[in-house]
Amino acid sequence: METPLTSTENKIKTLRKCLFLKGLEDAVLKELAAKAEMLRVTEDETIVIQGETGSKMYFIISGSARVHHGDVTLANIGAGDVFGEMAVLDSEKRSASVTTESAALLLSIERDVFYEALSSDPNAFKAVIHAVLEREREIIQDVKTRSTKLMAYEKEMEIGRRIQAGFLPKSVPAMENWELASCFEAAREVAGDFYDVFRLNTLPHVAIVIGDVCDKGVGAALFMTLFRSLIRASSLYGNMGSALVDEGSDNVSLTATEVLMNSVLTTNRYIATTHGGSSMFASVFFGLLDTGSGELLYVNAGHESPIIFRKNGETELLDITGGVIGLFPAARYAVETVTLSEGDLFFTYTDGINEAKNIQGEQFTEQRILEAAAPEGNSTDTFLRIMLDAVKAFRGEADQSDDITMLALKFQSPGAVE
Amino acid sequence: MTTINIMVGQAQGNVPVTILRVEGDIDAATHKALQDKASEVIESGSTHILLDLGGVEYMGSAGFRAIHAISNMLRDDDSTGLAKSPHLKLLNPTEAVGRVIKTLGFDVYLDIFQDRDEAVSSF
Repeated sequence: METPLTSTENKIKTLRKCLFLKGLEDAVLKELAAKAEMLRVTEDETIVIQGETGSKMYFIISGSARVHHGDVTLANIGAGDVFGEMAVLDSEKRSASVTTESAALLLSIERDVFYEALSSDPNAFKAVIHAVLEREREIIQDVKTRSTKLMAYEKEMEIGRRIQAGFLPKSVPAMENWELASCFEAAREVAGDFYDVFRLNTLPHVAIVIGDVCDKGVGAALFMTLFRSLIRASSLYGNMGSALVDEGSDNVSLTATEVLMNSVLTTNRYIATTHGGSSMFASVFFGLLDTGSGELLYVNAGHESPIIFRKNGETELLDITGGVIGLFPAARYAVETVTLSEGDLFFTYTDGINEAKNIQGEQFTEQRILEAAAPEGNSTDTFLRIMLDAVKAFRGEADQSDDITMLALKFQSPGAVE
Repeated sequence: MTTINIMVGQAQGNVPVTILRVEGDIDAATHKALQDKASEVIESGSTHILLDLGGVEYMGSAGFRAIHAISNMLRDDDSTGLAKSPHLKLLNPTEAVGRVIKTLGFDVYLDIFQDRDEAVSSF
């Protein structure tokens, strides 16, 4: 005796739920129902495999399944749903896999059976075409809705990008006898590079900062604004006590070394303790330049070594003096000193330069930076342009996968005309 | 899709040490698997982990974030955080990974060993 679920009547009821079949006459449905195969499957059985050709469509009478691309679930389906019908209609490869999530009872119909049943009724093809068109219209509508949403989202991203760009300096302070050039080229995907150049309030130093927040995307962009602001605020107003007591006397009691150390430690401790759970970090080179003497005090917190191209052709790398900022609250940093003399060029950059990849996946590397560099007789602007051209030529057809940030600084002898 | 293999081993130093041997690239696609595995062994009682990076040719920033997250999971409440982590150490990084560890200054935060026995007995 037939159970209610497997009765012909129930099969017809199940078939009628299918969009493609809903316009068919009872007689056609009855024929399909009679020829459909009943299939009992267990949990976690893959019925349809993406990319394979198949000749059957399936109707779920009971149980549940998921439609997926590998690990990514596209839809959850259950009793009354149909799958695999596309491949039956057009003989193309399966567009997704379907795996049961519970034991299930399925009806399956072969392509040949399907077309044979249809051929018995002249109106049947018309009904199926009508149903397919109806579905196509739904898909077009869905695409329209999605693209409107996507445009709104892209607009938001563009606003975010502009806000982020506002965290980069619009202009850099003019420095007598010094030439400074900057270059920032954002990757298509939002990333977390930043640089900053600003004067301290009470010391004859100019702060030079370059940083790269780990990872990409909105998270990196948000943290970029945090790192940049903390470094600037703690440098300018780090000695809050005195700032409160007497406005305008910010950091008055701190030496340049103390300002530098205070800023790096404050920024690190704040992010490591307040945002430690997100494990976000930045590599930062932070230098304080005494524009009078050419003395550069610096902390290199896990950043690519800046390069000094000495006038006599020698090069010097400013290696790290501590680890990246933002992870370990008690991290320690050393302040180092180097002196730039007339004609020396200081160059600092982010990994968008040395890790720029060509189509073969090779990286530009520090070695190629040294080879491409043309510090002799060139202005800092020209130097950066030559470097950028070299990176772009190396990259060729490959995408720019990361932000590119560069700063170049050169000590001109007083009165020198470039 | 990139995948990594993580093998779990045990060794006895001054304390029991769990060795996680990773094979494959640790990047945005795979770092979670490493973090999950570490979380699993920590939940089942591991307090000291030696992360064997001998089979890792590439480690991106996601990998370093995972290492930090693991070190956070292992941190004692009474830890001052002043010294290198006594709970998480790295073993035998490949040249490429070693270079990035050095650039980012992770060797400032974590002990790195080339020799397994030496690493285990340091715990």
